Amino acid sequence: MKNVINNIEVRAREELFININPIQPGGRLTPEAMKAIIAYGDGYSTCDWCRKPFRLDKIQRPPIDEFHTELAKFLGMDQVRVVPGARRGFQAVVNSLVEKGESVIVSSLTHYTEFLAVEAAGGMVKEVSLNKSNIVTAENTAQKIEEVKKETGALPKLIMIDHFDYMLGNEHDVCGIAKVAKNYDIPFLCNGAYSVGVMPVNGKEIGADFLVGSGHKSFASPAPSGILATTEEWADKVFRTTQMVGDLTKRRFGVKEVEMMGCTLMGANLIAMMASFPTVRERVKYWDEEIKKINYFAEEFLKIEGNKILSEMPRKHALTKVDTTESFDKIARTHKRRGFFFSDELKERRIVGEFVGATRAWKLNTYGLTWDQIKYLAQALQDIARKYGINVA
Amino acid sequence: MTEKAVEETFAALFALIDLRQMFRETKPTYQFNSEQKKRIREIVERLKHSLEIIEKELIK
Repeated sequence: MKNVINNIEVRAREELFININPIQPGGRLTPEAMKAIIAYGDGYSTCDWCRKPFRLDKIQRPPIDEFHTELAKFLGMDQVRVVPGARRGFQAVVNSLVEKGESVIVSSLTHYTEFLAVEAAGGMVKEVSLNKSNIVTAENTAQKIEEVKKETGALPKLIMIDHFDYMLGNEHDVCGIAKVAKNYDIPFLCNGAYSVGVMPVNGKEIGADFLVGSGHKSFASPAPSGILATTEEWADKVFRTTQMVGDLTKRRFGVKEVEMMGCTLMGANLIAMMASFPTVRERVKYWDEEIKKINYFAEEFLKIEGNKILSEMPRKHALTKVDTTESFDKIARTHKRRGFFFSDELKERRIVGEFVGATRAWKLNTYGLTWDQIKYLAQALQDIARKYGINVA
Repeated sequence: MTEKAVEETFAALFALIDLRQMFRETKPTYQFNSEQKKRIREIVERLKHSLEIIEKELIK
């Protein structure tokens, strides 16, 4: 394979292999996004037709303003901004709402960037425990709110819960949690990094005050890219514009939004998001098919003696944590290549994306694979099992 | 040198992206069905067309 230049190799794993990496499938580009990157790769490419009021989300050519309007509608929210990753969405909200020493409720499976967003604002994370099925429930959230109130004398300033978490791909009760949040009058941020763009998500139907999405995780977009959507009630606070005046020059930059640092996601990343949007809007309608595929895969996977699925069953998401301690890891214990034998076998069958060398608990994601590819994958794992004398039902 | 050659350069690049997508959809066996084979033929024809124009505009 030729290199792009010098030692930068061409990345052709999506063309050459079935990639089951847990975090990559939803961000795999559409052909339209690839074309957008070719055409809009130059630095300030989105700024050719930037006119007053000189802000990214107001640009009409290419139709970035229209994209913002349509994206808000798609998400069932009033206003939206594109941001460099979901993490910048968390950061904008936390920065706007949380003062030093104040508490923010998060899940016990929360992504580390939610921790960082709270830490950067000087706040404290307070984690909601999981139930026996590894789900964050409304009941446990309410209990945690009461504990925080008792401990600190104040209610948490924000609740941030993942719609689907990154560790197990489990669905959490965001609708129930939103109701609890309303009862306590605490704003609720729904982290849709693993749902917005792959399945139908409507922020208002959930009852979220803020809905955050990830372009590179679930919107067929390059990294970094993300979405921050909110309601009219909160838009003025989170998308507040600068009030600063220069003491010498008296300059002011009135229309620029403080938390967005003015313009947000410029250039190819935004245009790629826009180019993927029609496909994304369509593909969420077929989420049920993706669920059928992962559940078919799970069924075949469990035919291998000793295999377990650690995520909730039946699967509601293609991101799934599995346990092969009693199957492939048994082989790894005596194999000269240890856990790498499993990766070798997968690669030989043109499958990549597992955590290389891992044969105990590991994650995979089947999102976007065709039925032929799903069947091939399931068959490949069973073939490996048979090769090493593991029973397949 | 004309605008046409630039236009066809993009058209050719976009056609190759469409071909790239075909690999993604059929990996790792690349067993193309008749519809996919038809699509590949169209892409190749599109590429040839673009390259002919580029050659004519820039070299001949």
